[in-house]
Amino acid sequence: MVSEPRRVPVGSDGYPVGLLDLEEPPPIWLLGALMERPGIAVVGTRRATRYGIDLAERFGSVIGLSGWTTVSGLARGVDTAAHRGCLRISGHAVAVLGSGIDVCYPAENSGVYADILDGGGAIVSEYAPGTPPDRWRFPARNRLIAAMSAAIVVVESASTGGALITARLGAELGRPVFVVPGDVDREMSEGCNRLIRDGAHPVLGAEDLVEELGLVVGPPAPVTRPDIGIPAGGAQIGELPSLWSLSITESLAKLGRLEIEGRVKRVGDFIVPI
Amino acid sequence: MYAATTSVALVGGDVRPVEVQVHVGRQSEQFKLSGLPDTAVREAKDRVRAAVMSSGIRFPNRTVTVNLAPAHLPKSGTDFDLAIALGVLAASKEIPQPGRAVVVGELALDGSVRSGPSTIGAAVLSARIGIPCLVGRSMAGEVAAVPGSRVHGVASLSEAVEILRSGLDEVMGVDPSRPDLEDADGDLAEIRGQAVARRALEIAAAGGHHLFLHGPPGGGKTMLARRLPGILPPLDDAAAVEVALIHAAAGLDRGLSRRRPFRSPHHTASRAALIGGGSGVAVPGEVSLAHRGILFLDEMAEFPRGNLDTLRQPLEDGAVTVARRGMTATFPSSFHLVAASNPCPCGYLGDHRRPCDCRPAAVARYRRRVSGPLIDRFDMVVKVDRLESMEGGESESSQQVRSRVTAASTLLASGSVEQHRGALSLLEAALANQILTARGVVRVRRVATTIAALAGSEVVDEGHVSEAMALRAEW
Repeated sequence: MVSEPRRVPVGSDGYPVGLLDLEEPPPIWLLGALMERPGIAVVGTRRATRYGIDLAERFGSVIGLSGWTTVSGLARGVDTAAHRGCLRISGHAVAVLGSGIDVCYPAENSGVYADILDGGGAIVSEYAPGTPPDRWRFPARNRLIAAMSAAIVVVESASTGGALITARLGAELGRPVFVVPGDVDREMSEGCNRLIRDGAHPVLGAEDLVEELGLVVGPPAPVTRPDIGIPAGGAQIGELPSLWSLSITESLAKLGRLEIEGRVKRVGDFIVPI
Repeated sequence: MYAATTSVALVGGDVRPVEVQVHVGRQSEQFKLSGLPDTAVREAKDRVRAAVMSSGIRFPNRTVTVNLAPAHLPKSGTDFDLAIALGVLAASKEIPQPGRAVVVGELALDGSVRSGPSTIGAAVLSARIGIPCLVGRSMAGEVAAVPGSRVHGVASLSEAVEILRSGLDEVMGVDPSRPDLEDADGDLAEIRGQAVARRALEIAAAGGHHLFLHGPPGGGKTMLARRLPGILPPLDDAAAVEVALIHAAAGLDRGLSRRRPFRSPHHTASRAALIGGGSGVAVPGEVSLAHRGILFLDEMAEFPRGNLDTLRQPLEDGAVTVARRGMTATFPSSFHLVAASNPCPCGYLGDHRRPCDCRPAAVARYRRRVSGPLIDRFDMVVKVDRLESMEGGESESSQQVRSRVTAASTLLASGSVEQHRGALSLLEAALANQILTARGVVRVRRVATTIAALAGSEVVDEGHVSEAMALRAEW
C-alpha cells in the first residue's frame, strides 16, 4: 500500500535487527511494512518440482499461520511458492530482491510482488531503485535473507545453487538451518541431503517445523481456524479420501459442499482451507 | 439388348441405390462408361472384360454402353464391377435378366469376387427395399447380420452366374456371423489408483459428458481414455449398422462390431482428416468415424488451434456437412470427446520428481492454444498425476463399471431424474458466492444428474451436486 520506497539507515528505527549481525550491515530500501519479530526464510531451487512447490507452499502457509514472517527472494520456483503459500492464508510475507526495490524480477512475479504489498508485507533491497537484476547481486541478496531470518528452511536444492549459499551464510550467522530430505538419487534433493550430512536439522514437514521453531524463536501465536481435516498447507484432490477416511464419491461430495460454503478454495491443483 | 442391375453407393453415412444400366449395340467393339465414374470405376471396363473371359463366358465384341444412374451422383471405388459384369452378360443374352437383387463386388482378372467397402451398403439396401443382395463371399456372413437383410455370398463371377441361372429365390442366404464384444483396448482393472479419474470416467460414460484429462506424461491419461469404450453400453443393431456405413464410406471395414468406435487422430491431422473431405466424393473425417463412440485428442494443446475450433460445430450439431466438388454430404458426428494434455510444453509442470523447465509465459501460451469456447464444452476437467507407488488394491473391472453405466444411462434416457429443491438452492448459493458462473451451473447440473442416475436415484440431491462441483476444475 506504501507507494514510495523508503531508505532505512543502519541502526535507525525500523531497521531489521537481524541485519546488525552482518559484518558490514548495509542500509536498506523498504516498501511496505516489516514486523519486529524476525522472519523464517524458505529458500530453494528455481527449477522446483511439484514436490518442492507443494512443500514450499505448505511451509509458507504454516509459517504465516503461526504468526511469523515468511522471508524469501521472489525468484521463480521455491521462492515464489513460499510467498504464495504465505499470502494464501493472509500471512506476512517479505521478499528480499537482488535488484532495485521497484524492479520486479522475474517479471512474471509482478502479481506476487503486488500481493505481498497489498497483504501488508514488505519488499526489501539494498540496491537503489532502478538497479537492474544482475546475476552477481543475487548471492549478496542471499546474505540479507539469511540475516533477516531467525531460521532458514531449504526445501529443494540441487548440488549447487543460491539456496545453499543462503544456508551456509545462515549457519555462519548462527541461524539454525532446517532441510527437507529427499531421495538420494533425486537431482533436486542432492543439495538438501548434503546439508543434512553436514549437520543441518532435517524436517519432515511443515508441522515438524512449527515445533522446532517454537523451541528456537519462542512460542508461536497461531491463528485458530475450524478444523475441516485439510492441513493448513492444503491438499490435492486425490489425497482427500485418505485424509477424511471417506470413499471417493463421499470425499468429492464433501469437497464440493465445503467449496460452496466458502470454507475451502482452489489454488491451482490445491484445495486450501480458508 | 438392354439389361439393368442394382448396385449401391455410400453417401453421407447412408446408402443410395445405383442402377447399372447396360446396353449392347450393334456397332463395332467399344466399351463406354458414364455416370460420373472416378478412375477406379472407369478401370472396371478392363477388369470386367478380363473376368468374363477368364470365367469361360463370351464377352460381346460389340458396343457396350454402361450408365450408372443417377448419373449426376459421383461414383467411386471398384464395387460396381460385379453389377456391371452381370449387366453386360444379361444384355448380351448370355444369362437371364438378374431381376431384383443388389449386386456389389470387385472382380479380379481371374473372375473371382472380392469384397469392398460397399458390401455392408448392399446388405443395408437389401433390408430397406426388401430384395436379396449378392456380395463377395468373404464378407457375406459379416454383413448378413444387418437385421432384415438377405445375403448371398459368391466367390466368383461363374458362381454368381450359376445362382442367377437357378433363381435367387431358390437359394438360401448365408447365415449371419456375429463378432464377439472383444475388449481389445484393455480392462479398467489394469489401472491402479487414480480414483478421481476413474470416477470421472464412469460419470462421463454414463452421461455422455466430454472429459478433459491433464497431467504429466506417464500418468495414464491415454490408458484411461482407451478404456472408456469398454465401460460404455455396446451399440445396438441399428447403431452398429450406422457406424459401419460411415466407416465403409471411408473405406474402412469394421463389420457389424457392437464395440464403440475409438478414434485417436494424431495432432498433425489436417482439417479435412478431422472434419471430412475427399476429392469428388465426400469422405467422412475423424469426427464422423467417432460417431456413437469416442474421439480422443491426445496432446490436445499440440493441435493447431484452428483445427480444434472446427470441432465446435460438429460437437454442437451432432452432424457435419462436407461439401466437395460435385456433391455435398452430411455425416453424423455425435461423438464423445475425451482430450488429454500435458500441463506445459516440457510436460513436467506439477510433477513430483522432475523439475519443469518451462518459463511461465510459455506455459500460459501453451494453455491458450485451446480456445475458451472449446474448453467450455468439457463438463469435467480432471488432473491425472503420476503414481508414486503401486498404491491401492484390486481395481474394479470394466465389466462391473459397465453394468452401473448401462443402468444409469437407461435411467437418464427415461428422463425421470429430477432436481431436488435442496440441490437447486445449493447451486444458487454457489452462483451467488461467485464460485460458479452461469455456464458453470449448467455444467454442474448436467454432471449432478448423471451422478444421481449412477446412484440409482431419481432425485438429484445436495450430495450429487456437491460431487459434481468437485469434479469441475480449471485448465
